[in-house]
Amino acid sequence: MADNLQIAVICGSFRRSSYNAALARALPGLAPPALKLTPAPAIEKFPLYNADIQNSTGFPADVMTFANAVRAADGVIIVSPEYNWTIPAGLKNAIDWTSRMKDDPFKAKPVAIQSCAGGLLGGARMQYHLRQCLTSVESVILIRPEVFVNFSAKKFDEKTLELTDQGAKDMVKLQLEAFEKFVRQHTGKN
Amino acid sequence: MADASLSVLTICGSLRKGSYNAMLQRALPALAPSGMTLKPAPSFADFPIYNADIQNTTGFPAAVNALADAIRAADGVIIITPEYNFSIPGGLKNAIDWVSRLQHQPFAGKPIALQSASPGPVGGARVQYDVRRAMVFLDAFTLNKPEIFVGNCVSKFDEKTGELKDETTRNLIKQQLAAFAPFISRVAGKG
Repeated sequence: MADNLQIAVICGSFRRSSYNAALARALPGLAPPALKLTPAPAIEKFPLYNADIQNSTGFPADVMTFANAVRAADGVIIVSPEYNWTIPAGLKNAIDWTSRMKDDPFKAKPVAIQSCAGGLLGGARMQYHLRQCLTSVESVILIRPEVFVNFSAKKFDEKTLELTDQGAKDMVKLQLEAFEKFVRQHTGKN
Repeated sequence: MADASLSVLTICGSLRKGSYNAMLQRALPALAPSGMTLKPAPSFADFPIYNADIQNTTGFPAAVNALADAIRAADGVIIITPEYNFSIPGGLKNAIDWVSRLQHQPFAGKPIALQSASPGPVGGARVQYDVRRAMVFLDAFTLNKPEIFVGNCVSKFDEKTGELKDETTRNLIKQQLAAFAPFISRVAGKG
């Protein structure tokens, strides 16, 4: 029987009614049975990266908690909005912190990316920058299928924020199925 | 005639005290053409990480408004930043994310110049092109050339005083600042 795969889900937005957070919450219902998805520990309260903090008081406890969760996971899914045509600062700050660790948790980690955005491009600019950034920390990034939930306001239930758009749900399912294979291939898990 | 006095704000993307980019920032006033005054921007070190819920409950933090006001009041802005993980440092991006949400978005129509110092050979090129891209979205006008990439930066500053001692770099910066002055005037319609 196939091993279960532990997947940490990181959301790049911190606001409560975020569409990206809503997408992250929709994933367990769309994932193949062996993919066990858990939200990653919060990154919102990390201080802004400053090497002087690292060198005086060390890595903050919540940075360590986050890093350990990423290390323990077989794979990571990042669900993020696009801010000013690129990666939201909070998400970039989390990567900046963990990138300074001796045992960088993102190194060789299988990663899949998803984004929701109100506009036509669905966060594409953010995704390609995030790929560039994850390349610097030597993650292995799933290429296809890509998930861009564009015009996101129309694709979630206005009240419950449930993902209602069938096309988006199908695309997410396809990505999660592909990601399961990708994670098995890169971790050697059966 | 070019504007007699230009006030330029400098923003450093690194928060550590011994930063090479902060050293570069401190070197600029001595390399600026006459009539250009450079001053460091108010710090973004203590901005919370952007969350629209903060904006919508308690409003913009005072430090965010202070930075935004300084940008608005300046004739131009120079961003001097390291590259983190092939892109923009989280702290600098966070400052941009916060001010981008203000009604009178301070970067709109603002002349911008970019500089970066990095210990590697590429000198921070990737961060610069990513900042350029964010600045396009914000309707800022970014100076095209000359570009300043201070690569292999460890050898270019005095180890003890932090002074920029590399003559080639100093000359390039002089050229960039000399080009930035008429660029600011042109953007401001004072050609």
